[in-house]
Amino acid sequence: MIYGDRDLGVIVQNITGRQGRFHTELMNNYAREVGGRGVVAGAAPGKGGQEVHGVPVYDTVREAREEHGATASVVFVPAMAAADAIMEAAHAGIELAVVITEHIPVHDTMKALAYAKLHDCTVIGPNSPGLLSPGECKLGIMPAHLATRGAVGVISRSGTLTYEVVDELTRAGIGQSTVVGIGGDPVIGQTFVDTLARFEDDPETEAVVIIGEVGGNLEEEGVKSTDLPVVAYIAGVSAPPEKRMGHAGAIIEGGEGDARSKVRRISALGIPVASRPSEIPGLIREVL
Amino acid sequence: MKLLEYEAKEIFSKYGIPVPKGVLIRAPEEVMEHLAEVGDAVVMKAQVDVGGRGKAGGVLFAGGTTAVETARELFSRDIKGVPVRSILVEERLLIEHEYYVSIAVDRSSRQPVILFADAGGVEIESTASAVRRVIVSPLLRNIPPFLMRELLGDAPKELAPTINSLYRVFQEKDAMLAEINPLVTTPQGVYAADAKLIIDDNALARQGIAVNRDLSAREREAEKHGFSYVELDGSIGVIGNGAGLTMSTLDLIEYYRGRAANFLDVGGGADQERVMHAVRLVASMPGVNVIVVNLLGGITRCDEVARGIIAADVSPTVIVRMAGTNEEEGRQLLAGNGYRMLESMDAAVRAAMEVAP
Repeated sequence: MIYGDRDLGVIVQNITGRQGRFHTELMNNYAREVGGRGVVAGAAPGKGGQEVHGVPVYDTVREAREEHGATASVVFVPAMAAADAIMEAAHAGIELAVVITEHIPVHDTMKALAYAKLHDCTVIGPNSPGLLSPGECKLGIMPAHLATRGAVGVISRSGTLTYEVVDELTRAGIGQSTVVGIGGDPVIGQTFVDTLARFEDDPETEAVVIIGEVGGNLEEEGVKSTDLPVVAYIAGVSAPPEKRMGHAGAIIEGGEGDARSKVRRISALGIPVASRPSEIPGLIREVL
Repeated sequence: MKLLEYEAKEIFSKYGIPVPKGVLIRAPEEVMEHLAEVGDAVVMKAQVDVGGRGKAGGVLFAGGTTAVETARELFSRDIKGVPVRSILVEERLLIEHEYYVSIAVDRSSRQPVILFADAGGVEIESTASAVRRVIVSPLLRNIPPFLMRELLGDAPKELAPTINSLYRVFQEKDAMLAEINPLVTTPQGVYAADAKLIIDDNALARQGIAVNRDLSAREREAEKHGFSYVELDGSIGVIGNGAGLTMSTLDLIEYYRGRAANFLDVGGGADQERVMHAVRLVASMPGVNVIVVNLLGGITRCDEVARGIIAADVSPTVIVRMAGTNEEEGRQLLAGNGYRMLESMDAAVRAAMEVAP
């Protein structure tokens, strides 16, 4: 596993919101199932003293972290306040912030990530479904029941497409070490390069599936940076230019970032590229 | 959202970037009232959101006596299929040299990137060789002088204030792209001869922009329901949850040699009401005779989705693939009302291909 194990103490920012409340319960159900610590505290300004599914709420991240020894945070704060929440977490000594929030303005994200870096805080997302190390820990909103523990790492810019691929892998008897949704925004904290570097240091991970999409060229940078066996899938070969395909980051701009040229360039590096999700388990077997 | 040139120039001007004297007209006759202030020799630029506007015939030069005639000619043109509704009439500059400057969001470094070239012009994007680039920390409000020197090289220092102002525009207007091409020197000083500004769609509200003009009416309607929606030109309607899975469904249609009519991501928590609206919206597109619904997720309630599809009651065939809670109940509801639910997205798309024209 990468980023953390069952001993990871997690706080949820905006734990009193609808999503924060709902997913705190799911995360702690999972923690109980695997014998992990899970969500130990929540933070929400002005809501200190409350409880959410038995989890104590504090006004600030710092109090939540200090009282419970948490090192990671899951951010469910609404878009216009999310950058502030990331910076608060970094400032309070949180080492890993997983940002679920979608629709954060890009300039806010750039500032928050630069600030987090000054405080050595690793940020996953924004617009991430979170991360899941089967049998160890779950941070975020991924449905845990589709995953099973094993030797394949998964890195994805998407949410539900990740679940699709994890489901395909599990049905084919291929388990996952850690599944990381790095987020669908144009600017994200952990990129394919960063997460692949973590997988390289992870003794459990033998191969990695990367799930990319139109927009940017982070996939190519990623596969160039690693010696691990990799299988890629790129969504959006049928996407028209200059149209945003759901994710803020999924757009072919100025003739750059289209899926076909990504597939071509990644294939040219000798990396197998699946033309549909159902081909991924077969390709993984070949590289393992 | 892309701003038109005259809108971008209004903003640039407020930030102290020199722009040519100019006026916006919406009818040919209006040009005469303004010639006195703009000058006798003018350039007329169609305000259309089209790349390569000049080459496509969207820019014309005129003198005093021919101004109305030239404006009439430009209003009558289609620029790459886009009708000309307004024209920016500007003083003609005595250009000594053209430069290129562009500020964008660099995904790899997660920071703003500034590009500068000694030679401006229309073909700059395809001649990337002579372009210098510097990365600026988003925590800085101005470009530090050492970076400005690196960016400019031997180019005149007089460009620096304009480039710094452009950086302020980029930051404060939530721009994804702020560009001046060409940035020109004249005997009267530095000018932004053209202007390009793209605002982050996620920051439109705080920038006081109420309507995203880049979206079609139907796309805006979809946005109201919280859907991400893009119109395409095929015949197979698509509804998915999550951008990646929905895109992947479109790709699978293409893989099986079909053509998707649209992209519709219903987003999280697809309940009965939302699914019904989504199905009706896609069914209302001309030429759609089959719709693939592909929903996957831990918390998707399949019985709710099934009720939404049944309630939509549309004439195109609806083929469903979904996984989540209450799957069996959803399947029975669908089967009881004559809908098919298949096990995989491959199977669902193949089934749709049999129905598609």
